[in-house]
Amino acid sequence: MIFDLCTDIHQSGRSVKRLALCLASRRLGALYLALMVACCCVPHVFAQSVCLPAPRLLTTFPMGGQVGTTVEVSITADNAENLEELSFSHPGLTSAPVLDDNGLPIANKYLVTIAEDCPVGIHEARVMTRLGISSSRVFCVGDQPEVQCLGKNTTVATAMPLDLNSICNAAMTKQSVDHFLFAATKGQRVVVDCAAQGVDSKLNPVLIVADASGNDLVVERRGGAIDFVAPADGSYVVKVHDLTFNGGPNYFYRLAIQAASTDENVARLPATRAVSSFSWPPVGLALQAASSEVEPNNDKAVAQQITLPCDISGSFYPAADVDTFEFTASKGDVWWVEVASARLGLPTDPSIVVQKVNGTGADETVVDVAELNDILSPVKISSNGYSYDGPPYNAGSSDIIGKIEIKEDGIHRLQLSDLFGGTRKDPRNIYRMIIRKAAPDFAIVGWALHMGIRNGDRNALSKPIALRGGSTMPIEVVAVRRDGFDGEIELVMDNLPEGVSATGLKIPKGQQRGIVLLTADQNAPRGLTIATFLGRATINGEVVIRNGQMASMKWPVPDAKQEIPAPRLLADLPVSVGGSEFAPITVAVAEDKVWEVTAGEKLTIPLAHVRRYEFSGSKLSLKTFGTGFDNNAAFDIALDADTSEAVLDLAKLKTPPGEYTIAFYGSAVAKYGYLPEAVPAAEAVLTTAKEQAAAFALEAKNLAAAAASAPAEQKAAVMAEAQAAAARQKAADAEVKAADTLLKKAAAAARPKDIVDIVVSTPISIRVNP
Amino acid sequence: MALFSKTSMSTCVLRGLLAALVGCISVNAFAQDSDPTVSFVNDVMPVFTKAGCNTGACHAKAGGGQNGFQLSLLGFEPAEDFESLTKEARGRRLFPAVPERSLVLMKASNQTPHGGGMRLSQGSPGYLQILKWIEQGSPYQSGNEPQLKSVEVQPQRGIVAMQGQQQLKAIATYSDGSTRDVTELALFESNDVAMADVTKEGLVQVHDIPGRVSVMLRYQGQAAVFSAAVPLGAAVENLPEPRNFIDDYVFANLKEIGIPPSPICDDATFLRRVSLDIAGRLPTETETAEFLADSENQKRDQVIERLLKSPGYADYFANKWTTLLKNRRDDASDITSNFAFHAWIRDSLLANVPYDQLVRELLAATGTVIGNPPVAWYKRVKEPKEQLEDVAQLFLGVRLQCAQCHHHPFERWSQDDYYSLSAFFTQVGRKPTATAGEDLIFHKRGIAMAKNVKTGIELTPAAFGDSMGEIPADRDPRLDLADWMASPTNPFFARALVNRYWKHFFNRGLIEPEDDIRDTNPPTNPELLSALEKHFVSSHYDLKDLVRVITQSRAYQLSSLPNEHNLVDRQNYSRYYPRRLQAEVMLDAIDDLAGSKTVFANLPPGTRAIALPDNSYNNASAFLRVFGRPDNASVCECERSQSSNLAQSLHLLNSSEIRNKLSVGNGRAAELAKSKAAIGDRVRELYAIAFSREPRPEELETAVSYLTEPESGDRNETVENRTPTPQDFRDLIWALMNTKEFLFNH
Repeated sequence: MIFDLCTDIHQSGRSVKRLALCLASRRLGALYLALMVACCCVPHVFAQSVCLPAPRLLTTFPMGGQVGTTVEVSITADNAENLEELSFSHPGLTSAPVLDDNGLPIANKYLVTIAEDCPVGIHEARVMTRLGISSSRVFCVGDQPEVQCLGKNTTVATAMPLDLNSICNAAMTKQSVDHFLFAATKGQRVVVDCAAQGVDSKLNPVLIVADASGNDLVVERRGGAIDFVAPADGSYVVKVHDLTFNGGPNYFYRLAIQAASTDENVARLPATRAVSSFSWPPVGLALQAASSEVEPNNDKAVAQQITLPCDISGSFYPAADVDTFEFTASKGDVWWVEVASARLGLPTDPSIVVQKVNGTGADETVVDVAELNDILSPVKISSNGYSYDGPPYNAGSSDIIGKIEIKEDGIHRLQLSDLFGGTRKDPRNIYRMIIRKAAPDFAIVGWALHMGIRNGDRNALSKPIALRGGSTMPIEVVAVRRDGFDGEIELVMDNLPEGVSATGLKIPKGQQRGIVLLTADQNAPRGLTIATFLGRATINGEVVIRNGQMASMKWPVPDAKQEIPAPRLLADLPVSVGGSEFAPITVAVAEDKVWEVTAGEKLTIPLAHVRRYEFSGSKLSLKTFGTGFDNNAAFDIALDADTSEAVLDLAKLKTPPGEYTIAFYGSAVAKYGYLPEAVPAAEAVLTTAKEQAAAFALEAKNLAAAAASAPAEQKAAVMAEAQAAAARQKAADAEVKAADTLLKKAAAAARPKDIVDIVVSTPISIRVNP
Repeated sequence: MALFSKTSMSTCVLRGLLAALVGCISVNAFAQDSDPTVSFVNDVMPVFTKAGCNTGACHAKAGGGQNGFQLSLLGFEPAEDFESLTKEARGRRLFPAVPERSLVLMKASNQTPHGGGMRLSQGSPGYLQILKWIEQGSPYQSGNEPQLKSVEVQPQRGIVAMQGQQQLKAIATYSDGSTRDVTELALFESNDVAMADVTKEGLVQVHDIPGRVSVMLRYQGQAAVFSAAVPLGAAVENLPEPRNFIDDYVFANLKEIGIPPSPICDDATFLRRVSLDIAGRLPTETETAEFLADSENQKRDQVIERLLKSPGYADYFANKWTTLLKNRRDDASDITSNFAFHAWIRDSLLANVPYDQLVRELLAATGTVIGNPPVAWYKRVKEPKEQLEDVAQLFLGVRLQCAQCHHHPFERWSQDDYYSLSAFFTQVGRKPTATAGEDLIFHKRGIAMAKNVKTGIELTPAAFGDSMGEIPADRDPRLDLADWMASPTNPFFARALVNRYWKHFFNRGLIEPEDDIRDTNPPTNPELLSALEKHFVSSHYDLKDLVRVITQSRAYQLSSLPNEHNLVDRQNYSRYYPRRLQAEVMLDAIDDLAGSKTVFANLPPGTRAIALPDNSYNNASAFLRVFGRPDNASVCECERSQSSNLAQSLHLLNSSEIRNKLSVGNGRAAELAKSKAAIGDRVRELYAIAFSREPRPEELETAVSYLTEPESGDRNETVENRTPTPQDFRDLIWALMNTKEFLFNH
């Protein structure tokens, strides 16, 4: 184990590395490095009292690079030992450790090679650790030269010069303003853009273009880019700061200063997608709308005539814009309307009113037919109250999916407006409106389940799928249904690591929520795959399969009241087994079979417990996942017993005959110690350091005595030796002190602490017979 | 006429039975026949009002009504008052059998112990009027009784010499065209008691302050104003050459009143004054040197332009507006919205967004705070009634709060006006966001309506009686309100702003308080106010232009030093009225002088106090609290305390905060002590920063002498050998800092 941990030098800090290299020559290195790993992780473990430690990649610096280049990237991570290569969601990105002069890997540094054909845009970076795959961090690939800011540019005088058409990677210093300098000629158009929250940063960027003296000329505080035309030849200063002047390594950003021709459409820097956008676009939708709105169409007198079905693009511009369309429809027709704008990443809230128009001119009257607004979240979302009351993921949107039921033949008027657009004048706030006959369909998105696992629980931690042996991880899946589809949706995950199985607890007919259980066998080996995630349903007699998307928190938020959780969609779905730890407890069905029961009768299922930790409390209260059984009353099992029984009363549950899959879930407080193996390693390091120090002390003492009694002609030489020996003794004493400190830290980390986490049983198959 | 009105029939029957028992009814009933009928509305209620019975502290409902006897405030609801007098408390307040033993009379004349003391003496006209009304059977009104239509004060305008008097007469006009002298029953109130008092009988006594003073007359919900010019009568000659229309109107008024203005101030004073007023800061030493050395004729205009372009202008006025718009930190999580809101105001001012557009963006804000920062206002001001009250007071200069419960006592605003204004905000929709307590705002489709809680009638949006017509369900009515405000003919919007800004630069509004604009509170220079309003509208609500035209005027540039006549002037702008620097400006000025920096949480080092985004910094800064920085809880500028107190003096004299600023390692005292410059030049540097001027010879001599004099008790040391220490400079800076010249803008 010690030698396994030797590689952990890679994730230690720079100072740790220096110290370790110093020690390597004294045969203490291997032991020492192992110890360092345990110690550097301590604070992260005990910052949490909720959820067992999970590996998290926190930052990469830089956050991206230019295609066709190789970039040296530094990372920081939590709960991360035994690091393997930095891996990416696209094969065009590869990495290798940075090596020192001795050919040894330098901790936390990688050379990332970006292939010429790697797509420009957002990719995911992760690192495989002792505990499994880490959470993701965005890695951007661009087509412009990139530079890095060292962070010493907090005044106009120290502004960092930037070339036009380049990207600068930087991290904000707290309570500071970063300054950059660029040159422009009179009349030159320059677009200044900043990617921050869209690339996982915590920075809420404020962009300012100022004159060379630092006097502000243009300010952008709403996340937009600055489109600037230089009033004169000369230098201009770009200032960047956080809206509330926050800063630190997690407040990184990518600043782009691009020259542009007058009419050029300059694209924003790429960004991740919000969870709410998972339902866009509908499968098979053309990339471009078939037609576009034609202004003026602001009121009935100039209503734009359209024919259904239609696919129209438009813009909520100018302020308080109302786009009015008229179409003819027949009684009994049902049309479905879908509008995308917010799901395109825009700060809009589309709203539609459809009215039947009777009469003309002064005699005209209208009757409301439909009013269409938000796509509601499929499940109740977190209200950020005292306790958990729903997932901190909003799969709903302020966009529209709704239907128009035509009650009478005739002309109908549709008004589309932006409820957020009363005073805003921004032509970039575009929309796409599709009116179609029913095309039943669905979209699904999943995330690692959160639930109330202690009083006042408001945690919203990022949860990479890094499975411990014997654990079952629940993935909550929700669906947005289109155009009246209400059938059941099966959930399927494939391409899993060895020893891992996925069981989809389907989304029942007419409902929006299901669960996928990922179960690692107790002996599942360390492994990593990119899994597939599908939803499968029968629509109009045909099997329809849709790719599911996954979402995760960008950052581990321990208290959603103090820090607003920031979830996003992920590009892929890595599933891993760490192979170094086990679940605190496994609750499994005693016999792996289909359990049969007759409708209306009781089914008793024996359960076997495998406990690997001590627990706080004697009972584990379990509820039930799975259609037909989710109303099963909570029941307790004894945490100190090896077996228990679950009794399902189908008379109460009224579960009809059929095939079912269920699981039991609850939460338990384990006495968890972090990396206890590091303690004996640290002890060994200390022992060796002490021995070494004692030897040096003896040597120094002897040489000092020799120097005192040496003949005059040898005195200087012996004195020099004595001084060198004294220096070695001093260094050795310092090593003892450092080793002692590290041992104490390792011991503190390894000391069992109460950590509450979700416990889910292995899936159970049940057949209810008539 | 009928003996009893229908409304009071049943009560009177009971009273009649009671009266019969004591054998008095025939006498009283007979006695009525020959007397004119006393009207409850026209005769009795005015007596109660004049006697102060229905004021807030006594029996007004709005104040709770002492001992359960509740009358409508100032008698605005006579029907309710009639019920209260005749029926409530089982009719015990009136005693028809022996009218003079009625509780209401016994209390009012203090024959029965009365918390309010004697309000009507026995035998006074008011007492007899009520007595007679009771004797007549306490009717409400007769069928053809005339209704009060208006009240007029006579005379309406006049010139009253200092120490002179003017008797006012109140004439009521009724629906039948009849008039009546109601002087005895009307209420009179001076708008400036330092200038003039008025007796209950309407006799105006003018004191010895020249200018314009008004006396408000109120009678039964109607009001009128007497405006008096009080001339000083001095010769007004050699007026400065007017620079713009402001001077025309200010000087015309001074001529009329007979107050000669002070001369134009010197350059140093102007530079310091205008820098403090526009950018909230002292001029730098370099700015002062360059300005004083500049011989360009237009240099005052140029410095105004430079200041208007500077971030200091945006910071200083953003500080003013965010305070009034309640950018308040109640919870740590407010920081994002507060910073965003402050930045929005600041950026808008820097970019000189037209005022009407700024207000429109605020009023009709939708979306999220990050996406659209003015939404943050709706986080602070959540209910429609708060929204209308703040909008009315802040942007229209109308204090409408009273009208929520009763007719406005000094104005024409009714509860209908109140609730129809609140209707603009009834379709403000909210959706929760991830930040607790922070909603996103949208227009909730529907016809905007608000219910008058008194009448129960649903009202559509109307702005002070101006109907908006039919507002469709899909349209956000707040946009209609913004349109109405920005109309060039709007009588409130531009007027309120120019008056507010005038006060910012002249220390006194043309109307005071600056946000209480009403017919009964006339401006001291109505022509000037109208001209400013017109100029502002025609400039398309250009705030920088307004600042420019004000600060370019000769009136603004007059010296604060009084001449032999205008020391008493407090409202005619015959000189600049000095005022203490406000808390943030003073803190920055002290830092500038001491060479120190105040560190504020969450903000970059070097952030000035005028750039603070919200009130949270008051908690950590005793200085800001002591000098009256507001907590952003009110739309009233009066929340900022500009008064002086002992704590302020002590803070400046011997607080550790000031001591630390003076002692800062790389501060000005330390640097000056290290400097190789001549001692006189070092003193000049201090004067340039503190006062934007050269020290006078005697000041220079005193300062140099202090810095070079021998240490106390060391008489043998020669002056030539004495080198000033940092402590010497700390002492000198401390002394300069504690002068009125430093602490005031003058």
